[in-house]
Amino acid sequence: MPVPCGTGCGKNAALKRPKTGDALCKECFFWAFETEIHFTITKGELFKRGDSVAVAASGGKDSTVLAHTLKTLNERYDYGLNLMLLSIDEGITGYRDDSLETVKQNRDDYEMPLKILSYKDLYGWTMDEIVAQIGRKNNCTFCGVFRRQALDRGAALLGVKCIATGHNADDIAETVLMNVLRGDIARLKRCTAITTGSEGTIPRVKPLKYTYEKEIVMYAHYKKLVYFSTECVFAPNAYRGHARALLKDLEKIRPTCIMDIIYSGETMSIKEEVTLPSQRICTRCKFVSSQEVCKACVLLEGLNKGLPKLGIGKSSKAKKMLEEYNARQNTLEQVIDDLNDTNIKKKSGKKRNGLTDKCNSKTCCSGNCNSTQNNMEDNSKINSLLDEYSLKETDKPVQQLNDVSDDEEGCSSSCGRLGGLGVGF
Amino acid sequence: MICKKCGALGTITLRKKDIYCDVCFSINIVHKFRGCIGKNKILSKDENVLICLSGGKGSTVLLDLIHNGIVLDNHKKLRIRPLFLHISNGDVDRINNIIKQCKLYSFDVYIANIADYFEPNLKILNTNSLPIVNAEHNEKINNMFKDIPLSVYNDMMLKIKRSLFIKYAKLLDCELIFTAETTTSLAINLLSNISIGRGSQIENDIGFMDNRNEKIKIIRPMKDISQEELDNYMRIKQLTCINFDHHQENSIQSVISNFVGDLQENFPATVSTVCKTADKIGLHNDNKIKKDMKCIICESNLNRKNLKLSALEATEFSRLVSLLKPQPTPINSNDGLHTEDWAVVNSMHKSMFPFIHKTLCFSCSRNYAQMSQSQLTQTIQELILT
Ligand SMILES: [Zn+2]
Ligand SMILES: [Zn+2]
Ligand SMILES: [Zn+2]
Ligand SMILES: [Zn+2]
Ligand SMILES: [Zn+2]
Repeated sequence: MPVPCGTGCGKNAALKRPKTGDALCKECFFWAFETEIHFTITKGELFKRGDSVAVAASGGKDSTVLAHTLKTLNERYDYGLNLMLLSIDEGITGYRDDSLETVKQNRDDYEMPLKILSYKDLYGWTMDEIVAQIGRKNNCTFCGVFRRQALDRGAALLGVKCIATGHNADDIAETVLMNVLRGDIARLKRCTAITTGSEGTIPRVKPLKYTYEKEIVMYAHYKKLVYFSTECVFAPNAYRGHARALLKDLEKIRPTCIMDIIYSGETMSIKEEVTLPSQRICTRCKFVSSQEVCKACVLLEGLNKGLPKLGIGKSSKAKKMLEEYNARQNTLEQVIDDLNDTNIKKKSGKKRNGLTDKCNSKTCCSGNCNSTQNNMEDNSKINSLLDEYSLKETDKPVQQLNDVSDDEEGCSSSCGRLGGLGVGF
Repeated sequence: MICKKCGALGTITLRKKDIYCDVCFSINIVHKFRGCIGKNKILSKDENVLICLSGGKGSTVLLDLIHNGIVLDNHKKLRIRPLFLHISNGDVDRINNIIKQCKLYSFDVYIANIADYFEPNLKILNTNSLPIVNAEHNEKINNMFKDIPLSVYNDMMLKIKRSLFIKYAKLLDCELIFTAETTTSLAINLLSNISIGRGSQIENDIGFMDNRNEKIKIIRPMKDISQEELDNYMRIKQLTCINFDHHQENSIQSVISNFVGDLQENFPATVSTVCKTADKIGLHNDNKIKKDMKCIICESNLNRKNLKLSALEATEFSRLVSLLKPQPTPINSNDGLHTEDWAVVNSMHKSMFPFIHKTLCFSCSRNYAQMSQSQLTQTIQELILT
């Protein structure tokens, strides 16, 4: 029995919307889908007229649908935005080739300028070169840290006003659950913000924040959009894995739970006496960091000084490594000074923060989720936590680190994980 | 296997690593229970406390801990006057078992029925006897729970029981209520709360104290004790529980309960991490809280953070555009629609969130909307209107 479209347009419904339970035909669905994103953009005040906006493009479904919709709405409602596509090429042989081809297709289809920036452009090293330096075992650390900062660096190079990312409602709900599981109260507070970015950094916005992954897949499918779907090479960390599995099970029972979880995150308050790690700007590269020198700069320093394992694992380990190296060679005082400096300043900074600076200023706490660097203290805390959990990863310091640093940078921004067409009938 | 406290032969391994002997373990449990009440300084001397018993494991251990505390004859004596209450869903066997369980400690227990929710003039009950159930109210409650999604059933059941605890506490002249949630059950409740949109209510639903009622506070003195510890305590003290508290299957709560069970098994530290997270989540502080702005079902404050846009508006908007045919959209309109479109949705009673922020909170409104098909609508409307 065909179900009629709920708008009364006379056509038969093609899908049932998971968010509301309404049945719509294709045409009515397209309009509803796009108008909702327009609502999010205007009510959330994501853009200003005349802004140049970089759309983070991976070739996956989320970023492809985002680029398509932004172009459509920019014309329909005359936002006056200057849209461009920004892609990051990590320089992993074979991995990005297909997805970059897809991004180039997006560029032609949507007539948007495309800038592909490589890790070589941004950091002076390709992932392949890094792997050659440090071996396969440790490359995740670099990839995770560099990946989170790459968009910021790229956007700075392009001189845009903001970055639009393809994070969808499922990604955000999953991140809320993940942060509860790992007890990360600072990220729990930030992760539902529609705009993130502290003062002096390029803000990131999420126009698909309230859009279900299932509907994104359907929209792309019905509109015959070209996208690249692959499993991400970056396996999710243990917590995200658990959160994802839980969300999938919850969604089967009650599809509205995705919006409900986001609402929980949005309306929840953090107790005033809880001090959150402050965010600041890295003194080296000027990007967001929770410490004096960001993790990316520490890693780069290590690579450039021929100490590639610097910054992998615990800070105490890194320091010891440097000291040993120094004792032998006596040439790297500078690096050690930098590190010591970082640790001392960080500690006093924390104290300052706890005593006087209540962390409720906009500049501090509405900070950027995506490019937060974890301070080393956090790392060792998580390391001991992981020991406690007896996760298999414990003997692989690499994954622990990747684990902590993995932020809301879920699959949407790095790959096109394919959701099923489960809501169609 | 050496007890980490006294060096004697260990008998219990907690969290896969901490070894205790029976004696040190029991001392530790009592310590956790008393510490939880003590450090929060909520008890005044010889105060009446209503102890709510379900017959489950937590309830069984709570009963034992209370008894052990009040029979002490030294400075550690627990100085409260406990009154015991069981709210029944009509299971006569369970009632008889709870009466028996209390008799072992020479305690009397009041037995109420869930249908009392609809009784405007509650009366003090006889102890240790089956409750007299009002047939009309009973039919109402059965209708209310007929054909509703199980997730809503579980959630509503919690809210109804909470409301009855408070009503009976008032009647029995208690300003404090003890309930028996453990670390494990609170971790389940925390994740459930988040998954049904009750994130802003976490402090009252999961924290040490539910402070929503002005007169009567609900305390959770077992919040630092885990399921694993309960099991060991019951084994040592040779306690048996009457039933297993469990959620209706195929619900948000049962999925989460299974999930937390797996965590407990494989990553026990995660469960306490989850609960520590709850301790850091507070209430939205608004100095201008109006007294009457409370949800009539869960008593949560209806004041909320000032958000430009939240999942609530986004959901309402999704409903709106799902009812409208595609239309050429006015460029200057803020949301791409004509203002009269909103009025149409409201007049059609198609809102996703009936009574929201007027008499119901987000989640209670969501529950209400999911129940509207059943005969509940009228019953709840009576409640809303009274
Ligand atoms: Zn239609
Ligand atoms: Zn992936
Ligand atoms: Zn830096
Ligand atoms: Zn011992
Ligand atoms: Zn409510």
